[in-house]
Amino acid sequence: MAENSSKPTASGIEWAIQRPLRVRSSRTAQNRQALVVVLLIGCALISLLTTLGTIVMLTYESANFFLSEKIEFGRFFSDTRWTIGQTQGEIHYGIWPLISGTFRIAIIALLFALPTGILAAIYLSEYAPRQVRSILKPVLEILAGIPTVVLGFFAVTFITPYVLGPIGDFKPFNAASAGLAVGILCLPLITSLVEDALQSVPSSLREAAYGLGSTKFETTVKVVVPAAISGIVSASLLALARAVGETMVVALAAGSTATFTLDPRQPSQTMTGFIVETLNSESVVPGTLSYYSIYAVALVLFLITLACTLVGEFVRKRYREVYT
Amino acid sequence: MSDRNISWVFDLPDRASNATRVFKNSIFLFVCLVASGLAVLILVSLLTAILFVGTPALSWDFLRNVHVENRPELSGISQALVGSVAICLICGLVALPIGIGTAIYLEEFQPHRRWMRIFQNIVQININNLSGIPSIVYGILGVSVFVYMFGLFQPIRVNQLPDVEVGAEYFYQARTVSDRRKGIEGQLFSFPAGDPRQAILEIDQPMEVIGRDGRKFQLNMLAADASLPEDRELLSRTVRQGTAASRFSKRAPTYFHLPLGKSLLAAGLTLALVVLPIIIIASQEAIRAVPQSLRDASMGLGATRWQTVAQVVFPQALPRIMTGAILSMSRAIGEAAPVIAVMGGVLGTTRGLSNLMEPTPVLPVTIYKWSSHQNVEYEQLAAAAIIVLLVILLIVNSVAIAIRYRLSQNQIGA
Repeated sequence: MAENSSKPTASGIEWAIQRPLRVRSSRTAQNRQALVVVLLIGCALISLLTTLGTIVMLTYESANFFLSEKIEFGRFFSDTRWTIGQTQGEIHYGIWPLISGTFRIAIIALLFALPTGILAAIYLSEYAPRQVRSILKPVLEILAGIPTVVLGFFAVTFITPYVLGPIGDFKPFNAASAGLAVGILCLPLITSLVEDALQSVPSSLREAAYGLGSTKFETTVKVVVPAAISGIVSASLLALARAVGETMVVALAAGSTATFTLDPRQPSQTMTGFIVETLNSESVVPGTLSYYSIYAVALVLFLITLACTLVGEFVRKRYREVYT
Repeated sequence: MSDRNISWVFDLPDRASNATRVFKNSIFLFVCLVASGLAVLILVSLLTAILFVGTPALSWDFLRNVHVENRPELSGISQALVGSVAICLICGLVALPIGIGTAIYLEEFQPHRRWMRIFQNIVQININNLSGIPSIVYGILGVSVFVYMFGLFQPIRVNQLPDVEVGAEYFYQARTVSDRRKGIEGQLFSFPAGDPRQAILEIDQPMEVIGRDGRKFQLNMLAADASLPEDRELLSRTVRQGTAASRFSKRAPTYFHLPLGKSLLAAGLTLALVVLPIIIIASQEAIRAVPQSLRDASMGLGATRWQTVAQVVFPQALPRIMTGAILSMSRAIGEAAPVIAVMGGVLGTTRGLSNLMEPTPVLPVTIYKWSSHQNVEYEQLAAAAIIVLLVILLIVNSVAIAIRYRLSQNQIGA
């Protein structure tokens, strides 16, 4: 009797106070909590500092780039050749070849991943029986978890020779192979986001359509997908941000020549590929032009991905149909 | 009744016959199946291709050796494995407390005051955006913050001591005179450095030095033009006046210097920044999944908020938090871009890890360097290294799922 009298016997949380109750004064507990909250706010500040630090650092060092004597700000946006990193020849620093490379690969990636991902998501959400779902979902999760270097390796050693080789005259480093590999990377992301969007459409809409005599195809295409369109658009934008920011695949498969063309068979260095290539080489030290050009390119990259992510989140929240 | 066209009765638009609509339905199902099958096909062909190329190169020697330039058959990934484990530990030790702490703050300590709520909203929006930043930008951030440290300290240069340094002992070493006629080679000796700032020191006094075998002996100084002594024992201790001794250092495993420079520590800290948003979001979801009734019961017994969190909420959320932590660590193992940005593409050639300040190879960077190597034979090794990496990821993810299953057995509501 005595040993049980100090412990409340409410059954729900007995486990939470199995250890002997240490009775603390209220003041001690309050002080301790205040200290802990300060520590926790410090932790939260670190994530804020990361973003702030990124913006400050990119802006400051890009300013170093643009303010150096050999660089004119306007030509960064008007020149169509990029030769920083090459030791001979005159220096061209137009950003367009790198942007063209990035978007060439991103568009090829989305051309592959969007239809496939949306159709796979429709299948998963509307059609798939449970057994097929239990195979397909883990497959997509495994694809999502594969490191990007592995896909870059796959692109160089498999896609370029065996998939693209029979089709046409592709150079060993080309945009198409890298684009397909980046598309493979984006596929699980698109599928899971679109599936979530489709699942959040209430079944009453589907049932109403069936009640009017629609086939499953008509229901899906004319009722469910339009209802989920905001989720699909935001998924595309998030996948675009992912494709634009992808580094290792393009570093391995897209080559190190910055070209300004629409031809997917040419090597096409992207912004991320250029940054990795430059940091990979031993000869880049702080103070040189190559070093500062990294920051300028990174600033453009950061702004593009930030814009895509923000617009994607905005579309998702603003145009989401809320069914009560 | 099925095909009667009644569109003449009402003002209905033309519609396809039922057979066409059913046909379209079947075609659409087929197309969706093809798309889903494509995903499976891609994964299968990816794994098959890698297994096909890489399995011949897999062996126990592959796991034990280190990279040897120009000799692919002798190269291995042992140093890369050690480096990966080390960087994962550093990343986890830094990111997990900060990430879980932030998640606890955002979920449990919601403030009353308006400006603190604005602060929390900003932090939350910021975290949602952070996961969309490309990893190479984190790498560049790591270069500025951890490698060069905003220029607060002098950058690391060869033959120059860092501004702040801990755990290094400096010595000077030189050779005694050699006597060619008798075929005697001078022996190497060393002595501790009093003031290590000079790279070369001239010996001009007889001092006590340490020989190769560890025994101390007294140097015998010889003038520059004098002849060599005949006595063998004296000869082995003789050094000409003004012989130059060069500096070398012994570094303890706890060697540390500021600025961090291109070190494993800087790369680990950068990776911690990369996985931080993932950990925060996963921990937030884990904490949200704890039923509110538990918190209410605890507060009803008079616990403070922190006591509730530490003794009720956190243990209940622990399985999901651990799963999220392990999954984010598995993401960190596979990240190559930030590590390349901080350390460069390192293919180490020494065994093991001497200290945290060295540029060390990690598995994904090794795969990258081998894939893009000029020597095509390294491609096979890259495939084998990929197999090892995928096996490691498989084990880590299975451990995460097993831990979640095990711990959730003891949970309330399980």
